[in-house]
Amino acid sequence: MNFEGIHDRLRVIRVPGLLGADLPRPPIPGEKHGKDKDPGRSGDPFVLVDPQRIVEFLHVCRDEDRLRFEVLVDLTATDPKAEDPNLWIGMNLLSIERRQRLAIKALLPKSELRMPSSTSIYRAAQWHERECAEMFGITFIGHPDPRHILLPDDWVGFPLRKDYVFPKEYHGISCE
Amino acid sequence: MRTAMAAEQHGSMTLEKEARVLPSGEKEFFLDVHTQDMEVNFGPQHPATHGVMRILIRADGEIVTGAQPHLGYLHRCAEKIGESVEWLQYLPYTDRYDYLSAMNNNLGYSMAVEALMPGLEIPRRSHMIRTICAELNRIGSHLIAFGTYGLDIGAFTPFFYAFREREWIMSLFEKICGARLTYSFIRIGGVFNDAPPGWLQEIERFCDVFEEKWKEYVDLLVLNQIFVKRTANVGVIPKEMALDFGLTGPMLRGSGVDFDLRRDMPYSLYGEMVKQGVFDVVLGRGEKGTVGDCWDRTYCRVYEMIECIKIVRWCLDNIAPGPVLGDVPKVLRIPPGEAYVGIENPRGELGHYVVSDGGKIAVRVRVRGPSFTNVAILEEILPGALIADAIAIIGSTDVVIGETDR
Amino acid sequence: MGQLEHQFEENVLTTRIDWLLNWARLNSIWPMTFGLACCAIEMMAVGAAHHDIDRFGAGAFRASPRQADLMIVAGTVNFKMGERVKRLYDQMPSPKYVIAMGACATGGGPYFKFGYTVMKGVDRCVPVDVYIAGCPPRPEALLEGLMKLQEKIRRSSVVRKPARTA
Repeated sequence: MNFEGIHDRLRVIRVPGLLGADLPRPPIPGEKHGKDKDPGRSGDPFVLVDPQRIVEFLHVCRDEDRLRFEVLVDLTATDPKAEDPNLWIGMNLLSIERRQRLAIKALLPKSELRMPSSTSIYRAAQWHERECAEMFGITFIGHPDPRHILLPDDWVGFPLRKDYVFPKEYHGISCE
Repeated sequence: MRTAMAAEQHGSMTLEKEARVLPSGEKEFFLDVHTQDMEVNFGPQHPATHGVMRILIRADGEIVTGAQPHLGYLHRCAEKIGESVEWLQYLPYTDRYDYLSAMNNNLGYSMAVEALMPGLEIPRRSHMIRTICAELNRIGSHLIAFGTYGLDIGAFTPFFYAFREREWIMSLFEKICGARLTYSFIRIGGVFNDAPPGWLQEIERFCDVFEEKWKEYVDLLVLNQIFVKRTANVGVIPKEMALDFGLTGPMLRGSGVDFDLRRDMPYSLYGEMVKQGVFDVVLGRGEKGTVGDCWDRTYCRVYEMIECIKIVRWCLDNIAPGPVLGDVPKVLRIPPGEAYVGIENPRGELGHYVVSDGGKIAVRVRVRGPSFTNVAILEEILPGALIADAIAIIGSTDVVIGETDR
Repeated sequence: MGQLEHQFEENVLTTRIDWLLNWARLNSIWPMTFGLACCAIEMMAVGAAHHDIDRFGAGAFRASPRQADLMIVAGTVNFKMGERVKRLYDQMPSPKYVIAMGACATGGGPYFKFGYTVMKGVDRCVPVDVYIAGCPPRPEALLEGLMKLQEKIRRSSVVRKPARTA
């Protein structure tokens, strides 16, 4: 099944939390020489999902008979811009039985960085969420082990946020 | 703690209810011995952690009752660097997360960026050279996995055997790009330069020699009775658990799941090879014990090397002269968009998720390292194993810390 | 037996204490197995048959710092690891030597500018005797670093200097 097929299937069975889909589109040339009116979008198609209902959504994706996404390949976040009000949560599912992938994106407002943890559906999410939490400051509600994973326990700040200020020193050791 | 006791020594004790009859006919008794739970720090400096992983092991006598991997001792901020430097400048950093398979990392990153450039055409010859390099690098990586796994469980010789062939691969890479370990050779739009004269012929010689030497590895370690005893039925990962934890690569195939990105979601030239049936996917079948044990994972890696040789030979037969680098500008401006591209690394699926806003610098470069997810399973499979087996289990995950921590 | 058999009569050798001790030390530098990152693979290659660090008496890689004379810091040190490097260094018996192998251990290397957790050189937590350039250094470079360390040991002195009268 290609992306359209998966998206149609998700719509037909009324998956909770599905907001829409985003497909790559070619650029629209503008009047000015060399300038595009609309730069378009390249890359992969993805579905947009409500982050607060992600668990129900993933549950259907894993167990529905024609989807069967058994593996959570990746879970990550993106901070598009320092002034952007949202973080993007990106997930990537893989179906080994059906040989297909599905990219999921959810917009999470920076003012309220809380979303449910997907660990109950995929155990693979556990470490990805821990990394996401320490790098972006997202709280995953219901996560079984919300400690730092890569950074030291007393690290201050969320390094992958665009407004992150690099530390000057750590435990008396200069960083410059 | 319950200790097994020989029947003769403690025949007088009243332990009949705990008796178990061994296959040899002897009776074995269990004795409750008072022991204290002990927490052992395994790493970060330990020869068997393959780097700087730390595992906090709780042990009851000789039996592991809990394991807690701690990462981050090699966190080098690769993702932050990805969104701070230009697209092409990031390429050398990709070498350094999975430093045993730098060519594959280059390939993964290049393919992810190329996925955002719809009009870019990549010459066929560069695909060929890419595939040759990636597969040779896979052999080199599996050789380290095989050699150091021998070291871990007490066999010193395989290490020297493995490094003998690996040195040849390193010198082949040195001839084409000048570096032994960190190549930055496969780049966006193709490869950096063409193969030097005589290079392809030398690879052909390498393939011939390697096929001979490879038989030694199988005899020396894989079918060695001591090795089989140490690894068979140890650290069994059932299929469902492997999928739940998102394992990929030889870890997944060792558990009997028939999935290889090269065959099932082909990229580059693998699609053509699949049509011609060039290579097979090696699966763990539980020949020496249970499906998904440490032996199966080693078996997958060692037999995969010979499949790599088949792929390299196919490329050598089909390679034709031509350009090796597509039409890529000096300063790259990538069209806006986002793409996730996963390729089959020696350790599993290496995914790059790249986001561009149309500028010279990426908005986000996310690296999904296979070791990161593969290590997570230690938490689950170490409890219940003996401490000596814990080493065998950790070694069989073939973890590269540069990639778990990035 | 070897070539030396029947070559010498029973004899006494005179030498300086410094020379003897240095000779013994510099030809049996036992390194600690302490691989951090990419450079560790080249360090392993040095230990393997092709380059063979054993020729210089430094092939006995010890798993414990208490048995080692030399710490080859092969790879990037970050703050989380830096504390452990310091502790391992403290556990080594004197005389002890440190080789900073590669650009990262020397001064942060490619991670200097944006590596927020990377310690910009291992000399910020332990004293370093020899720095080796390269990313990663070739095995020959590590061997040269080892020889530089041997030179340094050859120049060192353990004897008590006579008190100056002034």
